[in-house]
Amino acid sequence: MGTFGYLAGGFAVALQPINLLIALLGSFIGTVVGMLPGLGPINGVAILMPLAFALKLPPETALILLAAVYIGCEYGGRISSILVNVPGDAGAIMTALDGYPMARKGLAGVALSISAWSSFVGSVFATMGLALFAPILANWALAFGPAEYFALIVFAIACLAGMVGDQPVKTLLAALIGLSLATVGVDANSGVYRFTFDNVHLADGIQFIVVVIGFFSVSEILLMLEQVLRGDPPVKNTGRMMFNMREAAYTWWGTVRSSVVGFVIGVLPGAGATIASAVTYMMEKRLTDKEGTFGEGDIRGVAAPEAANNASAAGSFVPMLTLGVPGSGTTAVMMGALTLYNITPGPMLFQHHPNVVWGLIASMFIANFILLIMNIPMIRLFVRMLNVPNALLVPGIAAVSVVGVYGLHSTTFDLVLTVALGIFGYGLRKMEFPMAPLILGFVLGELMEQNLRRALSITNGELGILFESNISRGLWVLAVGMLIVPPIIRALRRRRKAGATGSAA
Amino acid sequence: MSDRIFGLIWLAVSITIGALAWRIHAPFSYEPVGPRAFPLLLAALMAACSVWLMLRPGPPVRWPNRATFKRIVAMFVMLLAYALVFQWLGFMLATALLTIGIGRLFGGSWKLCVAGGVGMGISFYVLFDRLLDVVLPVGTLFK
Repeated sequence: MGTFGYLAGGFAVALQPINLLIALLGSFIGTVVGMLPGLGPINGVAILMPLAFALKLPPETALILLAAVYIGCEYGGRISSILVNVPGDAGAIMTALDGYPMARKGLAGVALSISAWSSFVGSVFATMGLALFAPILANWALAFGPAEYFALIVFAIACLAGMVGDQPVKTLLAALIGLSLATVGVDANSGVYRFTFDNVHLADGIQFIVVVIGFFSVSEILLMLEQVLRGDPPVKNTGRMMFNMREAAYTWWGTVRSSVVGFVIGVLPGAGATIASAVTYMMEKRLTDKEGTFGEGDIRGVAAPEAANNASAAGSFVPMLTLGVPGSGTTAVMMGALTLYNITPGPMLFQHHPNVVWGLIASMFIANFILLIMNIPMIRLFVRMLNVPNALLVPGIAAVSVVGVYGLHSTTFDLVLTVALGIFGYGLRKMEFPMAPLILGFVLGELMEQNLRRALSITNGELGILFESNISRGLWVLAVGMLIVPPIIRALRRRRKAGATGSAA
Repeated sequence: MSDRIFGLIWLAVSITIGALAWRIHAPFSYEPVGPRAFPLLLAALMAACSVWLMLRPGPPVRWPNRATFKRIVAMFVMLLAYALVFQWLGFMLATALLTIGIGRLFGGSWKLCVAGGVGMGISFYVLFDRLLDVVLPVGTLFK
């Protein structure tokens, strides 16, 4: 049975009424969460993940919900970028550059519809890429032993350190904090309790849901308190709602190029929607902007980054599903969700749980059609939701988060620990520690330690095995490269900028 | 400055973790690497990062001003109180109170906050506990 056979099976899963309903719901919630400034895909996925678990949704349905929310967020972010000049999430920053000027020119409707269209194209392209390449990569990864896995995890963390933020040491420290949090609890191999302080609630380790809600919901609402991000007044006159064929043709190749680039960037660990949209915007500017209209409301500058951030979202599923090593915070949360169901993502996933993988991929196609419909004819409904006051929104987020945590074990201890981790996360985020590596470390902590110990068991403690195979050697080289090269590039760029003052402003 | 202070604190935390990890002892072990090595490795790496942070701190952190800071503390206290009284007051009452408190912090009017609080407390309870089968506390106070 080839890819198409599996995909057909996936559609059989995705078209079950409950899964269709969940995809619809997830797309809607995702669009709203993405649109609200301050809340991005990781918050949406983090807040809904415990709920999916508390509702006892089957694993494929839970994953469909989270994926629909994720994709929906990438669609939703553009709405506030275009209408109020405040990106709804990090992936939509570039969209504001040309989207808002377009809206000011009375073309808000066109900007919204063309960006929904390019989001759709990007996402569908990338989902096809996922369906085609993931099985191949999974097959190849079957050959991975514990030493290769250990090197792969180090590589994933190094990628984050190299690409996320300007301060690699903080990214690294964040990842280490996440890894350390994962060591709490009983050690599976020896039965020894580690860092539990004789507290029975910690014997099982710190609950994944507690960590996720603490760092991505509680700390987020604390940050929202100090937000004074007041955007420009929403553009009222949206003008013509639908783009015409000329505009579609004008943006088509840029959209396709950006989709491909976005997908590739999404697959790489560490780089995500933010980098994908920035890279493609600059690429399109360089390739096609002969008149210098980018930044003044050029429709191509709206289409390209939207195609890219959606494509990268779908691409980021590739390493999570095939290798079991997520490359971003959002997919790390999803992987954690799967492990709550005792499903270990990785190469075996395609053989042991084809209904989960292919149901997910099929649902991503379906969610894109739902989102296209939601985001062009029904766009006014979402625009109205931009007016929900924070005084109601924030308590709502808090209550939903608590329901998810409480649904786990029904203990006050979990709730208090969540709040404590939330204030800790707030402090870390104020000091510009990125949260994605922390959650990645927490999700991968046990896997990393187990693979290290397993590898060293094979050689009876000889460290050489970690560097024995070509795959692991390659990964080590890449990991070191990821740590060294980006800071050098940044330093070079800074020097060049200092040299050519004002010419590129 | 914040980075240096955090570096110092985290260095102390790392050393504590290292010391605690050192005492981990497996009575039976079938493998060359026991439960102690990985936490020790992490503690050492964290200590190194902390020292690095103290020596080469990043740009200064923009902490909130005094007024915002008070609101942050208020929010933290409210969330903590919410967590602590959640089972005692029950979901509906605790959530209503939390909504009113947070709503006021975000500048909502009394009318909006009280209406929102009561509405949210009841509707979420019905939605999650009754319709979706997530068990929420009624409140030991009322039993």
